[in-house]
Amino acid sequence: MANIAAKRIKREFKEVMKSEEVAGGAIKLELLDNSWTELQGEIAGPPDTPYEGGTFLLEIKVPETYPFNPPKIRFMTKIWHPNVSSVTGAICLDILKDQWAAALTLRTVLLSIQALLSAAEPNDPQDAVVAKQYKENPTLFALTARHWTHAYAGGPAAIRDFDAKVQRLLDMGVDEHQARVALSTYDWELERATEQLFNREE
Amino acid sequence: MSAESDMEYSDNDGDDYDYYGEHDDCDMETVDRSKSDPEYFIYSCLKVEEVEKLLNESIELLSNSLQVTPSLAKVMLHAYEWNAQEIINKYKENANEVLVYSRVKPRVASLSQASTSRAVCAVCANTPPIHKYSALACGHYFCNDCWAMHFEVQITQGVSNTIQCMAQDCEVRAPEDFVISHVPKSTLRERYQQFMFKDHVKSHPQLRFCPGPNCQWIFRAWVREGARRVECRGCELITCFSCGAPHHAPTDCSTIRRWLTKCADDSETANYISAHTKDCPKCQICIEKNGGCNHMQCGACRFDFCWVCLGDWKAHGSEYYECSRYKEDPNLANDSQHAQAREALKKYLHYYERWENHARSLKLEEQTLASLKSRINQKVMAGEGTWIDWQYLWDAARLLKRCRYTLQYTYPFAYYMEVGPRKELFEYQQAQLEAEIENLSWKVERAETTHRGDLENQMDIAEKRRTTLLKDFLELNTNVASSSSKV
Ligand SMILES: [Zn+2]
Ligand SMILES: [Zn+2]
Ligand SMILES: [Zn+2]
Ligand SMILES: [Zn+2]
Ligand SMILES: [Zn+2]
Ligand SMILES: [Zn+2]
Repeated sequence: MANIAAKRIKREFKEVMKSEEVAGGAIKLELLDNSWTELQGEIAGPPDTPYEGGTFLLEIKVPETYPFNPPKIRFMTKIWHPNVSSVTGAICLDILKDQWAAALTLRTVLLSIQALLSAAEPNDPQDAVVAKQYKENPTLFALTARHWTHAYAGGPAAIRDFDAKVQRLLDMGVDEHQARVALSTYDWELERATEQLFNREE
Repeated sequence: MSAESDMEYSDNDGDDYDYYGEHDDCDMETVDRSKSDPEYFIYSCLKVEEVEKLLNESIELLSNSLQVTPSLAKVMLHAYEWNAQEIINKYKENANEVLVYSRVKPRVASLSQASTSRAVCAVCANTPPIHKYSALACGHYFCNDCWAMHFEVQITQGVSNTIQCMAQDCEVRAPEDFVISHVPKSTLRERYQQFMFKDHVKSHPQLRFCPGPNCQWIFRAWVREGARRVECRGCELITCFSCGAPHHAPTDCSTIRRWLTKCADDSETANYISAHTKDCPKCQICIEKNGGCNHMQCGACRFDFCWVCLGDWKAHGSEYYECSRYKEDPNLANDSQHAQAREALKKYLHYYERWENHARSLKLEEQTLASLKSRINQKVMAGEGTWIDWQYLWDAARLLKRCRYTLQYTYPFAYYMEVGPRKELFEYQQAQLEAEIENLSWKVERAETTHRGDLENQMDIAEKRRTTLLKDFLELNTNVASSSSKV
């Protein structure tokens, strides 16, 4: 990998390790290989959000042309958020695209992603289904996001009603994640979710 | 005449159609033509060098009157869509605002954030000597190696006019001279300038590249809304200046985009139509279509029928040509969803079938045109008259092509039209045009045995039907068009 990229990543890695956010447990950064091209980030769900108490893992790939091109980052932990694909974990964030600047660092990027969890941008959605729910039924959205945080990110708050509905579909032989996606998509209406799951196989 | 240069419209002897070709910006005698031709449109078709000259005139004007470098003038012109006069006026009122809007200077707020050291480069973490740093007007200093890398990455990705400063949240753009002075590779500098030129043409409201493959010509016109016919001097492609799609009158820009997208999406469903052979509706013998005419005559039983609907041709020649009209089922509203979906597909296929069919006829008629040329040449060589004597055949074939082209583009128009008296009128005129075009096509395919006066009469009728339809339905009214065709 290019000299500048490796040098920058090494320096940024040190910067993050020394930062107060790491000390406070808000973000973490781990190295996955010795070539400095793959890292794993970790952010804590911000307080007073449906993500509170959850830990979210991020895949970070550093391109050859870093820092002149942005790092490629996606959520590895499944998350229910308007700007993150519930399927691939792809993130819609301007600084990871056209607003990237070579002077930006991984620390700022991780903090920006964390800020995105506190303040979603439903008008620039990555996941249209989630964004629609966010706008039209904010209460249900918050509950769904909390349920996902509990199921995938180790969040504390279990939502009994939702768990029961997922279990109903599990009993019908549906895969757990598929069941959760269908229920979340259809505003937790068991009947519509079931219909969608079983019609698809026609 | 040279047949190669004008397959579509004659520009040989100042007849009715040469204005479709090239002309200069000035001294236009416009009054009569704009009245007689509903598609009349003033434009020019320019070479790259001519456009470069045009752009340079704006750049020079601006850089002289504001006393800025040509590079900065380019940044400003790009931001203000090449309206030099507007920039000059606004600059007199508030120079700073113009510079900020063009992103030559940062907003005051971000200036205060500018605190980049020249001890260590914030991008590469190296510590080069102080004279190896540079900054744009925002004062964000980075080392020259990093600027070079930044520009290389951006240029490789096709970015040119809009390359920004490397600092966070800084939107200041790098002017051409700054970029050039930091890029050591000459090939990269050349690419940068090519991208810049392309970008300038694209950002210029009066200019549009000819969309023909590998075509270098550029159209210039002053109106950019409504279906606007432009013909390329290089590749002869006929497109719409407003939207760049193939020319599509009487359909408007947004409708043709919807239609073409729909056709692309539904091509699977509609594929079965594209067969070149059909069975004769009377004797069931397989007939191959090899000309553009939809009036078919079965070689076996001599039955005259319509290729499109397989109906008796005699019924088509009458007052009301029914074949082009789609009859909506009046009981539709009561039907189930499934039936409605089937009806929607049926309706789409009706229009699509005719659209596709005329496109195919056009292609076949192009072959007729080519063979006609060699037939006329043979006649002339054999001493059967001169080119001038046979010119009318050639004109007839080209007129046929133009009429059929318009007819093809009436189908998307009709598809999206609301049911009502206006649609009825449109489909009536469309039917009449269709009938006359098929008559013309029939006569052109048998041109040598057709009486010349008869053929010329038919040409006149067909063209009149075409212009009538366009006059009544081509909406070039700026208000109507602007709401639907902004690109
Ligand atoms: Zn540097
Ligand atoms: Zn800057
Ligand atoms: Zn061209
Ligand atoms: Zn158009
Ligand atoms: Zn027959
Ligand atoms: Zn017919």
